[in-house]
Amino acid sequence: MRSLRTTWALMVALALVLAACGGGGGDTTTTAAAAPATTEPAAEETTPPETTGTTAAPVEPGGTEGDITVGVSWNNYNEERWARWDEPAIRAAIEEVGGRYISTDAGSSAEQQLADVENLISQGADAIIILAQDGTAILPAVESALSQGIPVVAYDRLIENPGALYVTFDNVGVGRLMAEVIYEMVPTGNYVIIKGNQADANADFLREGFEQVIGEAVANGDITIVGETYTDNWDPALAQTEMEQFLTQANNEVDAVLSENDGMAGGVVAALEAQGLAGQVPVSGQDADLAALNRVALGTQAVSVWKDARELGRAAGEAAVAMAQGTPLEEVPGTIIFDSPGGNQMVSILLEPVPITRDNLNLVVDAEWITIDQLCQGVQPGTVEVCG
Amino acid sequence: MSVTEAPPSETQQGETSVSPRPSLGSALRSAEFDMRTLGMLGLLIVIWIGFHILSGGTFLTPRNLWNLSVQFSPVAIMATGMVLVIVSRNIDLSVGSMLGAVGMAIAVLQAEILPDILGFGHPAIWLIAVGAALVLGGLIGLLQGVIVAYVGVPSFIVTLGGLLVWRGVNWWITSGRTVAPMDSTFQLLGGGSRGSLGEVGSWIVGVLACVGIVAILLYDRRQRMRYGFKLRPTWALVTLAVVGSAAVLGAVWVMNSYYLPENVAMQLAEERGIPWPEGGLKIPMGISYPVLIAIGVMLLMGFVANQRRFGRYIYSIGGNPEAAVLSGINTRWTIAKTFMTMGILVGVAAAVTVARLNAATSGLGTLAELYVIAAAVIGGTSLAGGLGTIPGAVLGALVMQSLQSGMVLMNVDAPMQDIVVGIVLVVAVAVDVYYRKRAAQ
Repeated sequence: MRSLRTTWALMVALALVLAACGGGGGDTTTTAAAAPATTEPAAEETTPPETTGTTAAPVEPGGTEGDITVGVSWNNYNEERWARWDEPAIRAAIEEVGGRYISTDAGSSAEQQLADVENLISQGADAIIILAQDGTAILPAVESALSQGIPVVAYDRLIENPGALYVTFDNVGVGRLMAEVIYEMVPTGNYVIIKGNQADANADFLREGFEQVIGEAVANGDITIVGETYTDNWDPALAQTEMEQFLTQANNEVDAVLSENDGMAGGVVAALEAQGLAGQVPVSGQDADLAALNRVALGTQAVSVWKDARELGRAAGEAAVAMAQGTPLEEVPGTIIFDSPGGNQMVSILLEPVPITRDNLNLVVDAEWITIDQLCQGVQPGTVEVCG
Repeated sequence: MSVTEAPPSETQQGETSVSPRPSLGSALRSAEFDMRTLGMLGLLIVIWIGFHILSGGTFLTPRNLWNLSVQFSPVAIMATGMVLVIVSRNIDLSVGSMLGAVGMAIAVLQAEILPDILGFGHPAIWLIAVGAALVLGGLIGLLQGVIVAYVGVPSFIVTLGGLLVWRGVNWWITSGRTVAPMDSTFQLLGGGSRGSLGEVGSWIVGVLACVGIVAILLYDRRQRMRYGFKLRPTWALVTLAVVGSAAVLGAVWVMNSYYLPENVAMQLAEERGIPWPEGGLKIPMGISYPVLIAIGVMLLMGFVANQRRFGRYIYSIGGNPEAAVLSGINTRWTIAKTFMTMGILVGVAAAVTVARLNAATSGLGTLAELYVIAAAVIGGTSLAGGLGTIPGAVLGALVMQSLQSGMVLMNVDAPMQDIVVGIVLVVAVAVDVYYRKRAAQ
């Protein structure tokens, strides 16, 4: 009997651990921030008085500034950039016109996010911005919002519904930029490709961008891919292990690494450092993480593609406000049509990212993205211009 | 309801009656070789050889084994503590999140706070960081232990709460920002190209280990003679000593056959002003510091579990809690201390992990609790309490890590890796349960 109990207990334990990890952290961050409700619709008496009645009616999401509520559904607030850059920018864009910002955090759970969107609608959101945990699982909630006349912005991650506005940096373009920098440095040789989470469409967009640059060279044999893998949850520690194994397999004959983000690039550089190859093998990344920019200054990472999240946040916030005020989807300024992998013609705003290399580090400093101290920690004097 | 002790050594005197032609099994039993440990070693060898063939001959190379040994260290360190927690009929689901929180805290301490106070690269930074890891881990563990033991909340709930809380703390310390790089001395704790003992040091450790094995065997024999216990046959003693020493020296030899990567050797030669020879310098790596730490922890924890009152109390609490209380053991304080020990070990593992990655990230240690619990359980720790050994858990950790890195070497994608690891876990425990049942009959 005891043994049976043991097995059961173990299985239940592991199941619970998994479940708990999926929902982990949600409780500790901002949920449904009621605080910003203090924005003064009453204080600013510029609004026409007759609009007051329209607030609670989702059927008529129009109305003018002052009583617009924009809801944001975060998939997982537990990541550096959302709290630091995206949220303040979105909030500023909304509050600039006197609107109200409300938000929820799904804690990496696709199911939770479905409920979150319903919740935002019942809180009276006139437009919803969604950072999707899972672009497919969120579809029912998006359809429900659209059918109630509430416009939806797919923020940074694609949602395959042509009724939604897709606001993102051109991810294929990000991949292309990374690969262009690396390809210029290493036109022939052995490449390792460290991709992100398999369930995240961005991992494949980025890979597609790589392909556009190095595809031909791979086909004619100038470049050999000696290792390529997806990485669960974009985990840097896992990327380090993967890189170690690839180096072992290739007997250190690796000439360049295309890593799809900065976190994983950190793991890759740690693995290269252990072989004394850091700085000799160019590594790519994106997000302009502070630690990654420091690596660019140190020369151990070749490029970090910078997507200024503040721009993205502002664009999404402004678009949401415009649509909440009644601007039809197609007439939102700055949009183009993007053919999605799912065969939809998405009305999209695609922003241009900037590749940051050792030569243009001044851009991130000038934009106050990073301080000189953070950027130049441990950098030999005289090697990088901004560091002096 | 038998009070089963961890090493089932003293329980079987007189059982093995003298038979004229002993079978292999009974011979092994009389020599007191632990069958489950032998079984696990067998499993490990099968896995290793299997991967060696499937990966086209890269698995059993010094380089890969060296990597493997470094990768497995943090899990092994934590698994030794998890054994005690599980033996006491508790569980700790919070170790992964704790590792994340402690790791992030010491990373911020050494990368952002201490350099401002002491100056960048001060030699005391790494010591303070490691000390802080142990203290923080210990305090968190103690807190959880006290809630379990004195307030009476089931450990499953307390540490499930901890899993969420410490993950949140990990994020909250820097709002999810990655902290890097670490202090250069601190980085040695994670292995890397310079974080190992080198050739001579490794051989010294190896020889000391052999002397230790012989000494322990002789001490054990003397104790048995003193208390009139049945002695192991001489052939068994000699076999144990020879095989044990050979294994240790073999491991040292493997570690020493992995040479410093050429680029690192070149840098080293430049720093020390050695001219670069024609054929290159072959500088053996030797045992890496994380592995040394893991071995040290294993020995210490093994000693505590078997020789100290604290350890014996844990096993008796796990075997029969009521009996333990009635015999005057302060079970509550013992349980609280068990969790504190677990916490300190998480601190050690956090230091090693952060040093190895040379960064602290917001996801640090995610799912580590799963691997640690799995390692302990594959290593023969019973979730019903009272049973489990420290070396078993370390072997379990080695099995888990071998599976994982072997599959990466074969380019198996992440979801498939999870499937395989999950199946192996359940099958390993099922087999164990089956044999334990049969042995009980």
